[in-house]
Amino acid sequence: MSEVHPHEEVRPERSPYAARIRAMEALLVEKSVLTEAEIQDRIEYMDSRTPANGAKLVARAWTDPDFKERLLSDAKSAARELGLDATHEAELIVVENTPVVHNLIVCTLCSCYPRAVLGRPPDWYKSFEYRSRAVREPRAVMREFGFEPEEGIEVAVHDSTADARYMVLPMRPEGTKNMDEEELAALVTRDALIGVSAPQAPSRAS
Amino acid sequence: MSSVHDIGGSSGGPIDRSQHDVEDWERLADAINSALGGKGLQTTDQHRRAIESLPNYRDLGYYERWTAATEKLLIENGILTQAEIDEKAGEIERRWGGS
Repeated sequence: MSEVHPHEEVRPERSPYAARIRAMEALLVEKSVLTEAEIQDRIEYMDSRTPANGAKLVARAWTDPDFKERLLSDAKSAARELGLDATHEAELIVVENTPVVHNLIVCTLCSCYPRAVLGRPPDWYKSFEYRSRAVREPRAVMREFGFEPEEGIEVAVHDSTADARYMVLPMRPEGTKNMDEEELAALVTRDALIGVSAPQAPSRAS
Repeated sequence: MSSVHDIGGSSGGPIDRSQHDVEDWERLADAINSALGGKGLQTTDQHRRAIESLPNYRDLGYYERWTAATEKLLIENGILTQAEIDEKAGEIERRWGGS
């Protein structure tokens, strides 16, 4: 039916669904079901969520062991400590990478993602290929991203649901002892928070 | 038998890692869905069920699925009618100079 797919270059509003969602918007406002302000608020809320939020949580966890414990046991309230309101989120679970286990996040059924912290998921996360293969051959998938945990490290794949969203707490790279929280946060990419990559110290960055 | 969305564990080709810029209508689809949820007019599970039962699931882009599902739920829940959405969407398309 439509030729618009998420990975294609699309001209703005080319999708036939653009007119349909704008029609629903107009009618919902006309009928006072929603207000323009409410809709705008939601747009701004999502636009303000970025992977930098996740990086901040990670950098704090790397430098403050007590905070790390709280992040792992109750991620939402830990996020609130850093002024991050994740109340729109379903359950938020942070899973910790260790020398024996590496975590990878997927949502095989749809696109569940810790949006209230990290924002909208990247296109590839929503792709049929990632959704189907991440649970079947996680190491092959990670290799496509240019990363693979060493042999012998267990790979734990977490399949997100509408009720439970995951984020990875990566391991702090070697050689970062003298870095402050802000510098550490800059090492943490979105892909590392999903688990298809891992943070590298600047000197070792490839 | 698995339904159309239940693809975990099946095989697939290489992952396309390119990213498109989120378009305004996609932001809007996201926002309306979230605002309706905030008002208790639909739930995440209803929206998922509506997405998963779309006959053209595999042919649609991501936010196209979201939009089609939101439309379906608004009609099911008696908030809007198919006729008024069709009419308004037609008006908008004509204003944009489409067919």
